[in-house]
Amino acid sequence: MSVGDLAKPTLLASVTVKKEFMIDHLSRRALLKGTLATSSGGVVMNWGDLFHGPASLAAESAPTKKRCILLWMNGGASQFETFDMKPGARTGGTFRPINTNVAGAQICELMPKIAQQMDKLAVIRSMRTSEVDHPGGIYLMHTGYRPTANVRFPEFGAIIAKYNGREGTNLPNFIKVFSQADAGAGFLGPKFQPFAIGPEGSLPPFSSSSQSPEVESRRHQLRTFLEETYAKEHRAETSKMHREAYEASRRLQEVRKVFDIDAEWEKHSELYGNSVFGRRCLLARRLIEEGVTFVEVSQSSYDSHADNAVWHKALVPPMEHAWAGLLVDLQQRGLLDSTLVVWMGEIGRTPNINNRAGRDHYVRSWSTALAGGGIKGGQVYGESDATGVDVKDNPVTEGDFFATIYSALGIDPKKENFAGVRPIPLAPFGSKVVSELLTS
Amino acid sequence: MTQRSNDRRLTRWPLAALVSLSLVQAAAAGPPLREVIDTEVRAVWEREKVSPAAPASDAEFLRRVSVDIVGVIPTHEEAVAFLADQSPDKRRQLIDRLLDDPRYARHMAELWDVLLFTRNPPGSEVDKRDGFQGWLRQRFAENTPYDKLVRELLKAEGNSVEQGPPLYFVQYRQRPEDMTEVVTQTFLGVQLQCARCHNHPFESWTQQDFYGMAAFLARLQIVSAGKADNQSKYMVAEKSTGDILFTGAVKEDKPGKKGDPVAPKFLIGDPLVEPPLPDGFKEVAKFEENKPPPAPVFSRKDQLAEWVTRADNPYFAKATANRLWAMFLGRGLVHPVDNLSDSNKPSHPELLTALARELVEHQFDLKWLIRELCNSQVYQLSSIGPEADPLPRLFQQARVRPLSAEELMDSWRVATGFETSVKPDAKKNVGRFAPIDGGYMIRFFGQPNTGTGDFQGGLHEHLFLNNGPVSQLIVTSPGSLYDSLVKSTSPWPDRIDRLYLSLLNRPPNDEERQKFSEFFSADEKMNPERLRDAIWALMTCSEFRFNH
Repeated sequence: MSVGDLAKPTLLASVTVKKEFMIDHLSRRALLKGTLATSSGGVVMNWGDLFHGPASLAAESAPTKKRCILLWMNGGASQFETFDMKPGARTGGTFRPINTNVAGAQICELMPKIAQQMDKLAVIRSMRTSEVDHPGGIYLMHTGYRPTANVRFPEFGAIIAKYNGREGTNLPNFIKVFSQADAGAGFLGPKFQPFAIGPEGSLPPFSSSSQSPEVESRRHQLRTFLEETYAKEHRAETSKMHREAYEASRRLQEVRKVFDIDAEWEKHSELYGNSVFGRRCLLARRLIEEGVTFVEVSQSSYDSHADNAVWHKALVPPMEHAWAGLLVDLQQRGLLDSTLVVWMGEIGRTPNINNRAGRDHYVRSWSTALAGGGIKGGQVYGESDATGVDVKDNPVTEGDFFATIYSALGIDPKKENFAGVRPIPLAPFGSKVVSELLTS
Repeated sequence: MTQRSNDRRLTRWPLAALVSLSLVQAAAAGPPLREVIDTEVRAVWEREKVSPAAPASDAEFLRRVSVDIVGVIPTHEEAVAFLADQSPDKRRQLIDRLLDDPRYARHMAELWDVLLFTRNPPGSEVDKRDGFQGWLRQRFAENTPYDKLVRELLKAEGNSVEQGPPLYFVQYRQRPEDMTEVVTQTFLGVQLQCARCHNHPFESWTQQDFYGMAAFLARLQIVSAGKADNQSKYMVAEKSTGDILFTGAVKEDKPGKKGDPVAPKFLIGDPLVEPPLPDGFKEVAKFEENKPPPAPVFSRKDQLAEWVTRADNPYFAKATANRLWAMFLGRGLVHPVDNLSDSNKPSHPELLTALARELVEHQFDLKWLIRELCNSQVYQLSSIGPEADPLPRLFQQARVRPLSAEELMDSWRVATGFETSVKPDAKKNVGRFAPIDGGYMIRFFGQPNTGTGDFQGGLHEHLFLNNGPVSQLIVTSPGSLYDSLVKSTSPWPDRIDRLYLSLLNRPPNDEERQKFSEFFSADEKMNPERLRDAIWALMTCSEFRFNH
């Protein structure tokens, strides 16, 4: 008998067939999870998991859970130059509305391709949110909460990774391509931290190994031994996170090719439009197809305090081309019903056009759009008044918006996590799900 | 003042006033603080029916207290000597030695530097802080009483390079509101930021409280004073006139609204009594560059510095004691440490009161406080046990926290022998984190900087550890760990002992010895590459990454 076997007494009984090894391995995993759930049941800080043990979480994470792509319009796209046209009004701007494939629904002429996908979209024209500047707005529209000194709220990507993510996958469950948000996993802890891809789709530094496979495997063997030995006696969650992140970093090596989209891009550049945002959207589709739960792709910057029309004329066409391509691609691959596509920025823009032909920040009445998984497409929800100064009916707050997103993904927005001893619901207390936007 | 606000003030007092009322009375000679700590913490275990972990082993204690006090793990020789030492009070002696070690000042200065400037300070003028950091090191080396240190910092005399302190305000330029937020939060543990825009929703702070404090700092101006040692010098000047303007709740703000001046008023205290300006006083139009600014007729800033650091300030001693407690015990008695408020009560109120009272009685002597904390049995508990919370709420098991970027690098250098075996000239001009680029170290290990275990390290950290330049630390020069082990003729078990004692500061157990023996003897002759693998694995594992 070798020394290696001595280190694993639990395996001694199951030397007969490989199947038994599997069972043993699984039960050991399950046992570890159970232990952690029990021992953490009474603690205060368990990265949000006060009464929600990892074992039950794993059971919930069936492969059929919905995924999400966030198309982030950084700086705040103008509702008047996208989804909430005010032709003839003094606030209307220079562009004209066009018809869509949904009777009666008109959008901006800058978006002809999206107009042909309108039957998939639920546009909200009555957003009313509470952070009017970029840092606060970016935080708010990624977490559902305003920034505060004492609670580090998680981004909704981290929340969706937690509830709909798969365990033990090679790819991280939460990936961002060129994101401007930095709230990360907040109190949910490092397991749900986003994995950040550069603007051109490049992997973060040190993603590739320079070691020979032989050295890699030798090192891994020792590291695993060291971690297992330490974990026998030390139960702190932080060390567990450290071990899991190490495992995840190794598994990533198996799937690095997913991030190399060059070959596929040749075939798809027409569908997505020849732009960097198009490439990002294709990458998002590949990642979703590989099972990633949440992908954010961003385009920057819509912060058009001057020359609003010029900026939107430059930014919207490549964006809408890529977005429409993404929806078509997802549908063709049978992924659209299980993938929610969220389109938004952190703020809207003012009805008034300022003396530099720009529009400033505005959150009293603005627009967002949802499509795909769980969403009843082909509708416009809510309405702004004749000049777009205020919401006329059905206002949707950030809390309502996130409650609706979670519901569309099959996640109860009232579920609570804990920041210290303070229970924090996924969507802020008092938020309403806009059920008209949902298929069921 | 209205009756209503009087009532509010009264309800606010009891929590805050516990210290101030008892501060001035010299306490009768009671048990040493370390015993008070153990008694108070144990009483809560008994009440809550919690059983504590076993006492830490000598090896566990040695590594923990070394990282906590001097910011670096012990050397192989130090570990061997301490484990062999038979004297019954060797732990007490070790604590004294570490507090006298010059690395104590460096470590504390680095902790306070990050506390005062964060990893990303608001102004680029403060990216280079050699002068300021030198001042901090000097103060900790002299064990300057903490109240005096903070007073010097807030009075901001001299310039930012030769003296240092003015740099603290430079990062906030002419933004008294920002200064007010950080000063109250950092030194008093009071968070006023909500009251900047509206009356605080949960606490009793009003916007008048906020602007009353901001008024003390409203007259400050940052003045350039040339360059020295390739750093821009700045001075903090203060005008004799000028007020902070309060425009009401931000929600009701209208463009062009000018606002009303607010007079300086101490938080939970009286308005500042200011002497009138002399007849015919003429305000300085503009402070001249490169010249020491004239003193104001009456310095509001100095009044604030005095008030903040007074022994009977209702918050200062408590906030300081609580911060130090959290640095060594993990969780603050009030947690987070910079939020002392009625809605965030201490877990052990009597203990916090005792810590603050004795800190005042010992003239804010930080070394004394650290000595008491580290000599307590509570600090010396094992981190082995069933508790999964890295910062156990009742301190029944030692806390686990990640090493800071600086602690990690220094510990790597000591463990691999880089520190002693690489010639100094090879290390010249390569920065704090040589041989690794400091930008990467801060990026991957710079957060959290609270020392309290809000660990967020994830995938990116491991990509760096797996594929980054960490191996540059595994040097082969004479005297390095690698060199000694390759050249050694001792049997493998002895060499594995050396490996473990150098990296983890403990001898391996039988299972570990066997595993590594097997690993090294898998090749015909010992493959030096396998030694690199072993050192790498021990440098990057959880047992190294955390102070436990």
